[in-house]
Amino acid sequence: MIKHHPESTMIHAFVAGELPASLSIAVSAHLELCPHCKAIADKATKAMADEFSGNEALVELAEPTPAQPVDEFATMLAAITEQPTDAPALKSAAVESSNQMALGEKTYTLPRALRQFSQTKWSGLGNIQRARLGLDEGDVHASLLQIDADSAIPHHTHKGYELTLLLDGCFEDESGRYEKGDFIILNGEHHHSPYTAEGCLCYTVSNAPLHFTSGVSKLLNPIGRFLY
Amino acid sequence: MYQTNQLADATINKSESAVDVQPDLNQYLMAVASHQDKAAFAKLFAFFAPKIKAFGLKQFRQEALAMDLVQETMSLVWRKAQLYSPEKGKASTWVFTIMRNYSFDMLRKIQHNKEDNLSDDLWPLYEEAEPEPDYEDDHLMREQLIQGLEALPPKQKEVVEAIYLKEMTHQELAEHLGVPLGTIKSRLRLGLEKLKEKMELHND
Ligand SMILES: [Zn+2]
Repeated sequence: MIKHHPESTMIHAFVAGELPASLSIAVSAHLELCPHCKAIADKATKAMADEFSGNEALVELAEPTPAQPVDEFATMLAAITEQPTDAPALKSAAVESSNQMALGEKTYTLPRALRQFSQTKWSGLGNIQRARLGLDEGDVHASLLQIDADSAIPHHTHKGYELTLLLDGCFEDESGRYEKGDFIILNGEHHHSPYTAEGCLCYTVSNAPLHFTSGVSKLLNPIGRFLY
Repeated sequence: MYQTNQLADATINKSESAVDVQPDLNQYLMAVASHQDKAAFAKLFAFFAPKIKAFGLKQFRQEALAMDLVQETMSLVWRKAQLYSPEKGKASTWVFTIMRNYSFDMLRKIQHNKEDNLSDDLWPLYEEAEPEPDYEDDHLMREQLIQGLEALPPKQKEVVEAIYLKEMTHQELAEHLGVPLGTIKSRLRLGLEKLKEKMELHND
């Protein structure tokens, strides 16, 4: 069962289209897995749409008001209705592209928000495979990570924030066990060392490299940059 | 659950002076969907275009970009109207979604020079309809329904529309029309029977 959810302010920002793409992908993918948050998002969408459309009576609009910049709108309106409408078949074509992603021996079904990244190039370091999404959002990097079974990531902290959405498998750290759909945000105050017994696939977003904190694992800081 | 939400929303949004325009909007959109009704589209356009422009100005702070948003959103509404169905929500929610999506893609283009058009994957517009081998049938059926509705005697048509398209309750409608509840029920029954007959005729 999913125990970790995005905060409702984040869901509202997502619905308003105000989150950057990297975080929007995470929230969208979570909503696909979490009916609870999906309901919150649906409600927010309705509320925003109501606010957008207001409550004015349509009666007044029967006649175009001459005071309005009617001309530019009128030209536009005429041009739009000259266009042919889409055939219903186009709809099926639009939703078809594949959600399947093969990686090593495994095939994953990606959430819809991630499906256009199913062909992203992977690179590996030790027991971790990473595919960077290339969203071009400056310091904010978004990646898919696949971690092999029976692997640990040494004790580390986050200089910025790190968001992890667990897409497949499970892992655990000092604060508990995480399952498919869990939406976990960590920042500089958190130290942890995640371990996965069965292996997992995650989507991660972070704005700074991981920082390894204890003794010998400082040698691992290249991994920290790799994971970022 | 869907029903309860709708009810809750309806009560919240009813301000006393304003007439609720949503049912009209739904019907206009349905008319565009079923027979590319230009007059109905003009009403939708008159209602939404200024609101979309205002939203666009807030978002982009540029007249030209705001007008782009109006143009693209309303084009999509025109071209894809047949994907709308009132069971999935109000027309205004549908239009808002299209606008929000297009605006998100525009912002990404402006701010990050990316044309990845992520929005339709982030906020699927048509998700409930996805497993849809029956879609053609559905579409056909809806058209037949709308035609059937047009052919009903006016009083029956009024009642069927009010209950099924405007989602009024029997009681509300009785008060609205100033007729007894029983009259509503019998008109509704007669209207539905005729509609059913028509559909069966079509499907044989
Ligand atoms: Zn959730």
